[in-house]
Amino acid sequence: MNTATLRQNARAVLAVAEMSFRQNVMDLFIIFTVLIQPLLVALLALWMLADKGPDYIIFVVVGSGMTGLWSGLLFICGNSINAERWSGTLETMVGVPTPLALIVIGKNLANVGQSLVSMASSYLLAVLIFGYDVHIAMPLHFIVSLALTVVAFISFGMIIAPVFVMNPGVQQFQNAMEFPVFILSGFLFPIALLPGWSTPLSYLLPTYWAAQAMHLSSSGGAAGEIFFAWGMMLAFSLVYLFIASILFRVMLVKARTDATLDME
Amino acid sequence: MKALSNNLRLFWQGTVLSYIGMFHWLRPQTYLASKILMPLSQLLFFTFLGISATGADSADFYVIGNAIQIAAVSGIYGVTMSIGGDRWNGTLPYLFGTPANRMMLFFGRAFIHVIDGMLGVLIALMWGVVLLGLDLSHTDLPALLLTILITTISTSALGLLMGCISLITTNVMFVNNTVYFSLLIFSGANIPIANLPAWVRAISYGLPLTRGVAAARAIISGMELAQVAPLLLGEMGIALLYGFAGYWLFRIFEQVAKRRGSLETV
Repeated sequence: MNTATLRQNARAVLAVAEMSFRQNVMDLFIIFTVLIQPLLVALLALWMLADKGPDYIIFVVVGSGMTGLWSGLLFICGNSINAERWSGTLETMVGVPTPLALIVIGKNLANVGQSLVSMASSYLLAVLIFGYDVHIAMPLHFIVSLALTVVAFISFGMIIAPVFVMNPGVQQFQNAMEFPVFILSGFLFPIALLPGWSTPLSYLLPTYWAAQAMHLSSSGGAAGEIFFAWGMMLAFSLVYLFIASILFRVMLVKARTDATLDME
Repeated sequence: MKALSNNLRLFWQGTVLSYIGMFHWLRPQTYLASKILMPLSQLLFFTFLGISATGADSADFYVIGNAIQIAAVSGIYGVTMSIGGDRWNGTLPYLFGTPANRMMLFFGRAFIHVIDGMLGVLIALMWGVVLLGLDLSHTDLPALLLTILITTISTSALGLLMGCISLITTNVMFVNNTVYFSLLIFSGANIPIANLPAWVRAISYGLPLTRGVAAARAIISGMELAQVAPLLLGEMGIALLYGFAGYWLFRIFEQVAKRRGSLETV
């Protein structure tokens, strides 16, 4: 791939991201998912965990924000291809020279970026309404963790979207997938509370490694553990992007062969 | 007598058909996902969060609170969709054109969801017993069943009121989701009401579920029906308040829609 093609692709991704952002920003379902629900979770957690002391506040802020990131990924990125199908624009999108996968990356970039508002709003709630003094223990590590989290979530979204399109039966479980990931990823409580058999499941989720990196860097953890979480996020991202490339190819071949692109 | 029989038939047909109409597109796996797995995972999440906050000894507090709160899945989402479905499916003008008793039509929409909601709460309590060690050995089971029934009725009454709101807004899911999650905070399902600020407590006591959750906890800890009767009467009062507020709005929207000729948009 030469530089000109790279520049073209980057421009396409950014253009899609901008359009998706503009569309999403007034959508009340999305506003609920990335803003209201994480705020309510933060409010609940701040009251429930008040006795654990001020050091725990940053854990709640980051954890509540992570719930918004996952809900956004599940419901918005998960439907990023189906949404086009529902609005009748999928055939056109498949027909344009820009690869569908690039378009979905752009949409996921906007969605995940937008979901970060959940963390910012939880922070503002803790500081402005509850009056807590909240600070990040390792700011540089936190910024890198946040950037890698965005990459890992976008990559995870690249798998969920085609899986939902090709398997409507799986998508019916979409609502039921929200809380299990909150639990297994240790967003708001350590996974040590869970039964031992569930630990390997947590390790298989990029959301767990994202939460690890974010919590450790915000609360002040061992640098080695943070680096390991970064490595796991990068490894998962690569694996997921590879799987996604296969899924997109299968999906498009299947859709073109069956000529049922817009049908459930 | 004939009018009574007609009204009862209307109530029952409205009840059954609106439920079937709402779920006709559903497959067993969708029901499994939305009515069994989602409530289970929600119950587990908030119970583990509670255990993390206050220790394993308080697990029952969170299990009971969140199990009773499951009534809101049917009460809010189900009932709202049953009322709003007439607008989205274009059957609202026919509904408003019939001479049928409006009260039977309106309250009939909630009936099956009360039964379904009770089933959801019982399943959640079963999960609590099997997975989280909830002890029901001191529980007066008929009293607990009555508590669940009354709480589900009051939550469905809130659903009826919100169903009316779905007749005048296109963003009812936003409202539904916000109310559903707010109940997790304000109903005392996850935070003892006494620990909340005074202004939040005032909101809590104006909502369905709050007294029902408290009554369920008291009954499971060994109290008798007579001791929680005031709580249950209060919960019933809340049910009547929200139910008739919804009915009053339903009648107003019907009159306004007919006067303006805006049956689909109100």
